[in-house]
Amino acid sequence: MRLYEYEGKQLFEKFKIPVSARRLAKSPDEVFKIVEKMKEPVVLKAQVLSGGRGKAGGIKIAEGANEARTYADELFKLTIKGYPVDAILIEPKLDIKQEYYIGVTIDRANYKLVLIASGEGGVDIEETAEKHPDKIFKLPLDISEDVYTFDALLIAKKIGLPQELIKEGAAIIISLYNMFRKYDAKLVEINPLVLTADGKLLAADARVSLDDDAVFRHPELQEMGIESRHEEGEMTPREKQAQDWGIPYLDLDGNIGMFPGGAGFGIMGNDFIHHYGGQPANFMDSGGGPSPERIAKMLVLLDQKPEVKVIFGARFGGISRCDDFAKGVIMFLKDHGLSKPLVMRMTGNMWQEGVRMFEEAKEANPELFEHIEFHGIETPIEEISKRAVELASLEGGN
Amino acid sequence: MAILVDKSSKVMVQGMTGGAGKFHTARMLTYGTNIVGGTSPGKGGQEVEGKPVFDTVVECVENTGADVSAIFLPARFVMEAAIEAIRAGVKFLVIVPEHIPIHDMLHVRREAVAHGATVIGGNTAGVMTPGEANLGIMPDIAFKPGRVGTVSRSGSITYYVADTLTRTGYGETTCVGLGGDPVLGSTFDEILLKFEDDPKTKAVVMCGEIGGVYEERACNVIPDMKTPVLAMIGGIYAPPGKRMGHAGAIVEGKMGTAKEKLEMLADAGAHPCKTFLDIPETLKKLGV
Repeated sequence: MRLYEYEGKQLFEKFKIPVSARRLAKSPDEVFKIVEKMKEPVVLKAQVLSGGRGKAGGIKIAEGANEARTYADELFKLTIKGYPVDAILIEPKLDIKQEYYIGVTIDRANYKLVLIASGEGGVDIEETAEKHPDKIFKLPLDISEDVYTFDALLIAKKIGLPQELIKEGAAIIISLYNMFRKYDAKLVEINPLVLTADGKLLAADARVSLDDDAVFRHPELQEMGIESRHEEGEMTPREKQAQDWGIPYLDLDGNIGMFPGGAGFGIMGNDFIHHYGGQPANFMDSGGGPSPERIAKMLVLLDQKPEVKVIFGARFGGISRCDDFAKGVIMFLKDHGLSKPLVMRMTGNMWQEGVRMFEEAKEANPELFEHIEFHGIETPIEEISKRAVELASLEGGN
Repeated sequence: MAILVDKSSKVMVQGMTGGAGKFHTARMLTYGTNIVGGTSPGKGGQEVEGKPVFDTVVECVENTGADVSAIFLPARFVMEAAIEAIRAGVKFLVIVPEHIPIHDMLHVRREAVAHGATVIGGNTAGVMTPGEANLGIMPDIAFKPGRVGTVSRSGSITYYVADTLTRTGYGETTCVGLGGDPVLGSTFDEILLKFEDDPKTKAVVMCGEIGGVYEERACNVIPDMKTPVLAMIGGIYAPPGKRMGHAGAIVEGKMGTAKEKLEMLADAGAHPCKTFLDIPETLKKLGV
């Protein structure tokens, strides 16, 4: 769960990481009123859950209230990487002498937390990491370890903080690391940490991403007004619909509707379709042990997508039982009917039960099964993939 | 021989009295898995499928000699349960539930390394040694005792690979599901080395996935392995995924695409496969 800059800064304040005084505005008029009172040059920052904001024109400097309102008009009309701008953060403009970078993240392959710091902060930090790795300092730490003050001091010196700010810099580093652990973060970044002309250190931006799976143990976030949210960029209406139903789904450009089991074959099945010369219309994941209702909803998504010419179904029942799968498909057929061909394979836990249910339903309503080709364990999944590609080319489309 | 579990393993189930725990205890027993007991705090003294339930792992281990545990608990209870089992001397753990908090898994991994225990999951289908033990949620229909080991992130891919090996007569020694969560208890290289030490395993099929960070680690061990490794990577044609901020890019580098992962594995000496049907063909060429 990604936090907005203003939310990240709330957490920073809690951990005594210095930030500017700031106000949040939701309309150009509000921006005008706030800036009028501030009586100093301000920076207006679009609040969006995406990086690259500065490069997308989401940051403006205004000398006075009228100019601020003009910029605010523009900012509220912006969409940055699919995110509309609903709020603007207003802070006094800083007189910047130097920009540093401090971050904490997880090195998953090596099971370590990593503290990262550089004397060259700002928007080009990744480029610096690639071209001048010597300018990036990394300290791997165990999840159960604190950062020692001496390590933090050494980092503060290495990135070139002025002598009189070494202790303060070390304290910021330690606080950021503690915040990372306290809130089950996946990523926290101060980029840039700014040294102002009058010799102060300030976190000028805040990037905080928390582990969705651990938000349950931080009810205080909600008390601070930080609502739980999904990370979403630009979504198609169908992707939005799928998300509301709790189904991981992505629209793709092809014409074969993918109706797989779990994410593993959801991903590999798409490769198979490509391998045999077809184009998947989507990625989808049923999740573990889907209910019949969820299975039916997966079919609704594909049935309603006009580009889908053929549906390719695969179910290898593990924790997801074949009888529930069959129940879901039958439920869908009875409620909606299916106008497109469905070629599918089903095997695994409770497969006999699933097959029996299909056979009974077909006997009772043969017309519902007119477009369905059903296979069991005897047919390799590759054959089913080929058949789906073949049917798609017969049906036409792209 | 097999790796991780066989018929002599004494298996306990943590969360034995819950819905999933009960259901899969019965399934695993039906397969012949040697389940000796389980835990459920506050329910000590009860029985599930005729097997004793204890309040704590220590009691379960003392009374039954359990050395392997399958965890069927809600994600938020997994860290404590896993650490409890590791400290009680359980040497192999299977974490079936998904969405385990990442920081929790880092703690679990640390405990496991410190105590010489092996953990797989979260979000794993489990481990299957055909004809001996089925630990987790795998459907037994796909499996038959044989001579190829498998290790995969995804459950469904494990089933498809085993299904292919079974129908072509190779069969499997042990099939390991590493799990689908972002941080896992074990890595590809660690499981590959266990197969390398198993005389019955004549080849290993590993299936990685786009977005994983453990595939690259396999490249460290494959060049020195005598057992041939076949590799598949899911997501060759997947649309580019999201990245996690600057720090992620700095630490994990440019996350390998599926194609790059497969090339890297091939360079290390693995035999790349594109479909499941490529697997028996490759095995045939290798004379397995």
